[in-house]
Amino acid sequence: MSVSPSDRVLHAPAVAGARADTPSTVLSWLTTVDHKRIGILYGTSAFAFFLLGGIEALVIRLQLAVPDNSLVSAHTYNELFTMHGTTMIFLAIMPFNAMFFNFVVPLLIGARDVAFPRLNALSFWIFLVGGLLLNASWLTGAPPDVGWFGYANLTSKHYAPGLGVDFWIFSLQILGASSVIAAVNFIVTILNMRAPGMTMMRMPVFVWMTLVVQFLIALAFPPITVGLIFLMFDRFFGTHFYDVAAGGDLHLWQHLFWIFGHPEVYILILPAFGIVSEVLPTFARKPLFGAAVVIYSGVLIGFFGFGVWSHHMFAAGMGPVADSAFSIATMLIAIPTGVKIFNWLATLWGGAIRTTTALHFALGLVGLFTIGGLSGVMHASPPVDLQQTDSYFVVAHLHYVLIGGSLFGIFAGIYYWWPKMTGRLLGEGLGRLNFWIMFAGFNLAFFPQHYLGAIGMPRRIYTYRPDLGWNAANLASTIGAFGIGVAVLVFMVNAWRSLRRGAPAPPDPWDGRTLEWRTSSPPPAHDFDTIPPVASRDAFWREKYGPRRSAAGGAGAAGSASHHAAIHLPAPSHGPLMIALGLLLAAVGGLTHVALVAIGVLWTIWAAVRFALEHHRAPEHADQTGVLALDHRKMAMWVFLGSECFFFGTLIATFLAYKGRSVVGPAPHEIFNIPLTSLSTFDLLMSSLLMVLALAAVQRGDRRQTRLWLAGTAFFGLIFLGFQAYEFTSFVHEGFTLQRNLFGSTFFLLTGLHGTHVAIGVFWLLVLWVLDLRGRLGAVDAVKVEIAGLYWHFVDVVWIAIFTLVYLIP
Amino acid sequence: MPSGLARGTLEAAVDVPTKATCGLALTLGLGGCAWDAPMSTVAARSDLARDILHVYSIITWITVGIALVVGVGLAWVLVRFRDRPDAPRMPAQTRGHTLLEISWTIAPAIVLLVIAIPTIQVIFRTQAAPTRDALEVRVLGHQWWWEFRYPTLEVVTANEMHVPAGRAVALTLDGPDVIHSFWVPMLGGKRDVVPGRLNRLTFTAETPGEYRGQCAEFCGASHANMGMRVVVDAPDAFARWVAAQKAEPVEPAAGPAADGKAIFARSACVGCHTIRGVSSGALGPDLTTFGSRHTLAAGILPVTVETVAAWVKDPSALKPDAKMPALGLTDEQARAVATYLIGLK
Amino acid sequence: MSDEHREHEAPTVGTYVRVALVLSVVTALEVGVIYVRRLAPIIVPLLLAMSAAKFALVALFFMHLRYESRVPTFLFVGPLVLASGLAVALMTLTGAFLVFGR
Repeated sequence: MSVSPSDRVLHAPAVAGARADTPSTVLSWLTTVDHKRIGILYGTSAFAFFLLGGIEALVIRLQLAVPDNSLVSAHTYNELFTMHGTTMIFLAIMPFNAMFFNFVVPLLIGARDVAFPRLNALSFWIFLVGGLLLNASWLTGAPPDVGWFGYANLTSKHYAPGLGVDFWIFSLQILGASSVIAAVNFIVTILNMRAPGMTMMRMPVFVWMTLVVQFLIALAFPPITVGLIFLMFDRFFGTHFYDVAAGGDLHLWQHLFWIFGHPEVYILILPAFGIVSEVLPTFARKPLFGAAVVIYSGVLIGFFGFGVWSHHMFAAGMGPVADSAFSIATMLIAIPTGVKIFNWLATLWGGAIRTTTALHFALGLVGLFTIGGLSGVMHASPPVDLQQTDSYFVVAHLHYVLIGGSLFGIFAGIYYWWPKMTGRLLGEGLGRLNFWIMFAGFNLAFFPQHYLGAIGMPRRIYTYRPDLGWNAANLASTIGAFGIGVAVLVFMVNAWRSLRRGAPAPPDPWDGRTLEWRTSSPPPAHDFDTIPPVASRDAFWREKYGPRRSAAGGAGAAGSASHHAAIHLPAPSHGPLMIALGLLLAAVGGLTHVALVAIGVLWTIWAAVRFALEHHRAPEHADQTGVLALDHRKMAMWVFLGSECFFFGTLIATFLAYKGRSVVGPAPHEIFNIPLTSLSTFDLLMSSLLMVLALAAVQRGDRRQTRLWLAGTAFFGLIFLGFQAYEFTSFVHEGFTLQRNLFGSTFFLLTGLHGTHVAIGVFWLLVLWVLDLRGRLGAVDAVKVEIAGLYWHFVDVVWIAIFTLVYLIP
Repeated sequence: MPSGLARGTLEAAVDVPTKATCGLALTLGLGGCAWDAPMSTVAARSDLARDILHVYSIITWITVGIALVVGVGLAWVLVRFRDRPDAPRMPAQTRGHTLLEISWTIAPAIVLLVIAIPTIQVIFRTQAAPTRDALEVRVLGHQWWWEFRYPTLEVVTANEMHVPAGRAVALTLDGPDVIHSFWVPMLGGKRDVVPGRLNRLTFTAETPGEYRGQCAEFCGASHANMGMRVVVDAPDAFARWVAAQKAEPVEPAAGPAADGKAIFARSACVGCHTIRGVSSGALGPDLTTFGSRHTLAAGILPVTVETVAAWVKDPSALKPDAKMPALGLTDEQARAVATYLIGLK
Repeated sequence: MSDEHREHEAPTVGTYVRVALVLSVVTALEVGVIYVRRLAPIIVPLLLAMSAAKFALVALFFMHLRYESRVPTFLFVGPLVLASGLAVALMTLTGAFLVFGR
């Protein structure tokens, strides 16, 4: 088998800690697929957006420092708090977390990269496009001004006619795509690429929290994707999802948003919990107390996090039963959270505590998140929440958990892993200063806001009257906010000095417990010279201080040249950047001219096909079986299909929720052609049969039969699409359109999106058909046909549900 | 390697709980313990607010207690188990303790039960259907003002709601444009105004007085300028108010007020505003008894000739994006109209 | 779902064709029953059951879950169950549970 010239095959250097030569040109960064570099790209971008969001916050606080202020207009203020929230959540905290996922998780599990390095790069470039697009709205004078939560119908074309909301929609969709792609990648990586002997329960807690977060992302983003599609269609195509006059329910947006939004807050905090769970044991020199319990509580929080979303809607009028149910569910979630905090305290108890800056920030999280979590418990009681929600009390709560929790955790991680990532040490003196100024500034900024909320200051107001007693606390809060700014500056000085002339970092500066400390700082391109078998959690600690086994167990990387084989490193690729640019073009087209949308979509498709085929038939990529005896690509497809369950589930639920609420006709039973649809259903079912025959053919290497059945499947898919096209056009002729009524909106969008999935499947099958024709699809490529098949069968299965729930059920 | 441990012991003492306490003290000091601020959520003046405050107090004390326990625990642990750089220890590598885990899972659960029980009770009690003798008030939230309609009394007014003390008031909330939220903290929690849904809020105000409220759901440019007043009257005062609302407007005295009426009647004002006997526009607030109100433009300004004239002349200057257009009146005309409106008691 | 690791047992073409046949028959039945008046009171659970059966057949056989380790099943069924639960919750909260009766 020939080796593709673009692959780099490395033999591990004989000396531990030697850095492989990696060029540092701009091009090398644009095309990198190395998880460490991608981590740094995420971190740098996150920091830039964090500064931007911070400036937005400081302007907000300046405006609110005194009553009846006119530093900024009402419009600008509304834009500022919208952009501040959206930026901090999606462009600062999430990518900071992604920095750690990328750089550290493969090291923690003893892997050399993630399962899909090029997909990893794709996630980053798509994220950057999304972030730049959102902030480009400042330059056009039309940033969104509807709040980061954009409640319908304030976001309708009627009440928000400018481009702002459109910028917001497109950016969020793009950012969502980035996150979900990364989620699939990391789930497969964590499940399938662990070092030998690393069972799930031996994984570091940070990796567990990452795993839970990735599932949350994969499953929580589809509902908001659908909600945003509804909004986009309302704005661009006259549908009625959030149109009260047509029978729409404004609560629908709130539900879809918060079904995403609540898991989102766990997405934001769980990584910080994971970081604390690594930092505390390291600096207490003890294992994490109750590690299994901490892991289970993280899993429980993630799972139950899907069941509490309407606690954001206690004032919305859902009725006492719903209020009570969500209240109890929310209180229940407090239990595993509290358990974590107690376990952290018990970790410190009896330890030998070294107070590094990283530990300071971790301890800060423990204290501040306790406060934020407790104010959250207050919000869990609807009667109390009716006074606290939409006031500065909840603003205090969310900043205690997001800054006191997430940001302090992120800074703990930065101080902890900086040596590993950069090969330098951050100054501890400046670090302490950084911490204390941030701690004091943060508490001064946000503790008074509990009081402000308690004396009735609503949130999202650009100014306030002077006779309400809110003046002094607002001024204090503003001063504190600037304190946070100063702390960030101190950090920047610390970082700069470290990078310019900081002390070089040894591989294991903290006497760490986990595998990332087992390689050089920073790691070589191939991460580890050798990967030892793992016998417990805290594998490295056990290696250093645990029971002595035979010396040849892989302990120490030096002089183990005889143990390594040729290490395959993923080659750089232009593909991710190209795809991201295509998406940018399409989004810009959505804001300007439809021709650009077409060009952007075509570009994206072209770039995606090239991307998919870039390493087709590369021998190193043939076998991707992982720890769970499942091919990476197959596992990825299953995870993606899980995510799609949420996507179609949301669409179907909306259809059923809106059924019977159209103000004008026609109604379903008046317009459906059941016999015809039965035929198309039968056709799709048969296409699945043809698909499994195609898979069987490719598995036994029968090229002609493969082509026959692939073409057959695609053909049947086209027939299905033909039926659908016929159905749509006949409906339109009868006056039943997308815009006709609520039924039209929900029906055409649901079946249209399903049809789009079918069309993508047909395209995919035709690509495979062409590959086979050219002799480039053999038994070794069977897994590629298999995953196409899984996708195809899933689309079929969704139709089974649609046929029954939409067409048949009266 | 980490340095600066000389300051260590002092740091350990000046730490999380101390700072939090300082923060608390600072806040209380700054606030001057002004818990009876005009929009305080902890000064209950109705049965609804009182029910809420009952649960609020229970939860507050519990959470403050827990915060102190955790804070003190954290501080103590940090002081007690500091490592000495000159004599580093390898502590016992304890992994866990099942009984402890069970205990600190059950304990929070019990605490939450203590919170949950009054919570559920109050939810159902405060959302029960209003009694038959409740005064029905329809609240319509507009961008950016409040309309109040009393169907049983045939009274329509805006931005200032009067209710009788000691009698249940049943609000139904609706709106023709976007989502708003009705919030008068001293009279209870908030309830959203959701177009297309009929939400309810029921309370019995106890003490006569004037209470301030504000819209509490972001509703566009002038969300911050959508205040309101709820005046709780003793029953006879309320009856007088109702009578005044229903009375026919008195002819204005000759002079500026009469001029103002004439200007009003011939301007676009009549397209949006109702003054009984003069006009019947339905897009803006009913002005029939404008002069009886204490504030202007949804609670953002006091009512004087100057403020009303300024508003009439250029609404958007005082309330960004106000739907009421500037009609190009001169200062003198604006003052005349203001005088007329203030005379409408 | 069998607990055993059944990777080496592969379905035959015959199995696939039989599954396809059952799917066709059940589809025909589904369409048929909606015209039978006497079944109207139980039509909704009946249709849901038939639909679920088809769903399961495609997942177990065509998507090969019956012959794989438990990993793919968990990865798929977990989200499926959660999504279904959320869908039902969403429909209930928007007051739509009357939808099946209309």
